[in-house]
Amino acid sequence: MGYNLKSSVLPVETGDAPSSESRRSFLKIAALTGAVVSVSGRRALANGDIGFHAKDLSDEKLIEMYKTILKIRWHERTQADQMLTNPDYRGYNHFYAGQEAVATGVCANLRNSGPFDQIDLVYSSHRPSGHAIAKGVDIPKMCAENDFRATGLNGGYAAEMHLSDPSVGFIGADGMIGPAPVIASGSAFAFRARGSDQVAVVFAGDGNYAAPHFHSTLNNAKLLDLPLVYVMENNLYHQYAHYSYSCPHKDIADAAGAYGIPTKIVDGQDVLQVYNAAKDAVDRARAGGGPTFIEAKTYRYYNHWGAPGAKAGELGAFGYDPLAINSFRPEREVRAWMQRDPVDIARKILVDWGVLDEARAIEMEAEIKAEIEAAFAWANEQPLCTPEDGLKHVFTEGTVPARQFG
Amino acid sequence: MAQKSWMYSVLEAVQYEMQQDPAMTWIYELTPPVASNPGKPVINLETEFGRKRVVNTGIDESWMASAVLGAGLAGSRAATYIPYQGALMCFEVIQNVAGKLRHMTGGKASMPVVWIIEMTGQTPGFAGQHSCYEEDSYYAHIPGVRTVIPSTPYDAKGMMISALRSPDPVVYLYPAGLRTLTGEVPDEAYEVPLDKAAVRQEGSDITIVSSGGGMPGVLEAVETLTGEGMSVEVIDLRVLKEMDTETLVKSVAKTKRLLTVDQSYYTLCPGAEVIARVAENVDGARYKRVAFPDAPPPASPEMFVWMRPDADNIAGAARALV
Repeated sequence: MGYNLKSSVLPVETGDAPSSESRRSFLKIAALTGAVVSVSGRRALANGDIGFHAKDLSDEKLIEMYKTILKIRWHERTQADQMLTNPDYRGYNHFYAGQEAVATGVCANLRNSGPFDQIDLVYSSHRPSGHAIAKGVDIPKMCAENDFRATGLNGGYAAEMHLSDPSVGFIGADGMIGPAPVIASGSAFAFRARGSDQVAVVFAGDGNYAAPHFHSTLNNAKLLDLPLVYVMENNLYHQYAHYSYSCPHKDIADAAGAYGIPTKIVDGQDVLQVYNAAKDAVDRARAGGGPTFIEAKTYRYYNHWGAPGAKAGELGAFGYDPLAINSFRPEREVRAWMQRDPVDIARKILVDWGVLDEARAIEMEAEIKAEIEAAFAWANEQPLCTPEDGLKHVFTEGTVPARQFG
Repeated sequence: MAQKSWMYSVLEAVQYEMQQDPAMTWIYELTPPVASNPGKPVINLETEFGRKRVVNTGIDESWMASAVLGAGLAGSRAATYIPYQGALMCFEVIQNVAGKLRHMTGGKASMPVVWIIEMTGQTPGFAGQHSCYEEDSYYAHIPGVRTVIPSTPYDAKGMMISALRSPDPVVYLYPAGLRTLTGEVPDEAYEVPLDKAAVRQEGSDITIVSSGGGMPGVLEAVETLTGEGMSVEVIDLRVLKEMDTETLVKSVAKTKRLLTVDQSYYTLCPGAEVIARVAENVDGARYKRVAFPDAPPPASPEMFVWMRPDADNIAGAARALV
């Protein structure tokens, strides 16, 4: 246990410089020497043996990814501030701040719009807002849903842990630990059976490892060569317990490898590393090459649920979480991870590559912040639900009888 | 005797039994076996008994439920606290193994095990999957497993002691909404039987039957009704399997009116079984069920609070029946 606790506090650094630094200058050298860009080298490789696909992205796509990270970040921060300062606000969240690069890097590889029988499907966890935004869910409607509004994404029936929007392939959040990966493998099974090149992606945390569903998913995905990408977001904690309480491996990918599935461990704070690994995985799945398991080493800046320990206007939660009872995250651990912030890393890459200058990048963040504030303002104006509507949507048509009055 | 919370009372029972029996184990995930109470020492089973006997596992209810069964079959008493996450993920081993094993083995299997199954979902805002007040019906249906659902701190402790001492497997339903309820609870160990309902108030006009998380609403309604001059008999089921038919029949034979109250779904709610048992034995009575509609609990507080049976609903149904 001590082994895991000590060694997994920070992502393992291999000694390489941050992978995506200075693409433009590297590309110049590569062009001069005729070197194969993606095979070796100290600087430019995302993660050893996978392609550095992100170098081929257009400036527009890179900016779009940066904006997605910002949208997630400011959604989380704005909502945390609402919870902390607005007594009328009733929503809550399992905050995703700190993990933005994972959802963004993966979903940037997916088909997120178009006919339902052609888009890729994403299954999410009880920490879904980042996945939802990265997949293209309408943010104002999501904000309204999280505050139980009738015009919210799911009419006020779902709220945060059950968000879903099939129109963008976001099949949805699952409030339980276990079922989502297995169900995602079922969608992948259907794609394969009907000859579709769609891909199913599941985001699940380190807590899922211990559930039988984890093993069933990987076993069947491999047996049937399913077009499934399992994205394990290892943020070190399942609820309040360190993952060493539920998994004997330092790298959970080791367990996935035992099922004969290609695995990749990436720095989940670096959106391009995630992008590169996910591109390999999605391309493989689309081409009929079967499943891939990606373990993204990441961290959440807030406590498991809600905003205990957080202060309005400040990023992250460091204080006492009454729900943690006997297991607390060391404040130093939180602060250490915040030194490698996915927003900062993404911005630095774009500035280094000359895609944006620093001033524009900062300006862009202010624009996104305002956009998110507007989304929350719109959500706050939305109507509350009609009580009797609780009897609808049990079946396709009609309502069930009220029984609470006898 | 002291004022103690439900939560503290339960752990006091477990602590005592673990002190008496060095082989007994406790398995949990996420919910540390820690409780405090004004004027009483903090209970922390993990630090008191060590991590060999008190185990914090991953989120794997299937293992937790199976592991205590295996411990029981090996001759060690064992209990596990299964929080709201997927309470039914452990259903198979309880229903298809434990429930059938004593019978299948011709009486040879002994299963001194307790599954503490948390019931959550009475807080508005937690939708669908984090609401599991319907699970009383599922467990009550299993033969061979005693299913109990205390509603007071006193019963919570006494029934935990009895459950831990029972050679039969016990599903101990733990309504999370009652965790902070306080009451007078003796310090010493005592048993509350696993087959008796409790008459909380005697009356002659109507019998109201409920259990667990339904009881606070019933007691509130009864206070109103009593103030209006209605004579209400209140029965707290306490036990869903095996249900105490005698107490129910005796009461309704007197009042001739029976109102059942459940936070569970209407269809096959415990009240349905109560009414069936009484109807088989009492002539000329009138019946009514108050229950959660047959719809998953929605997130919106407006919808949820309207759908959840409350004291006003219960009082209204009682007035209509009397």
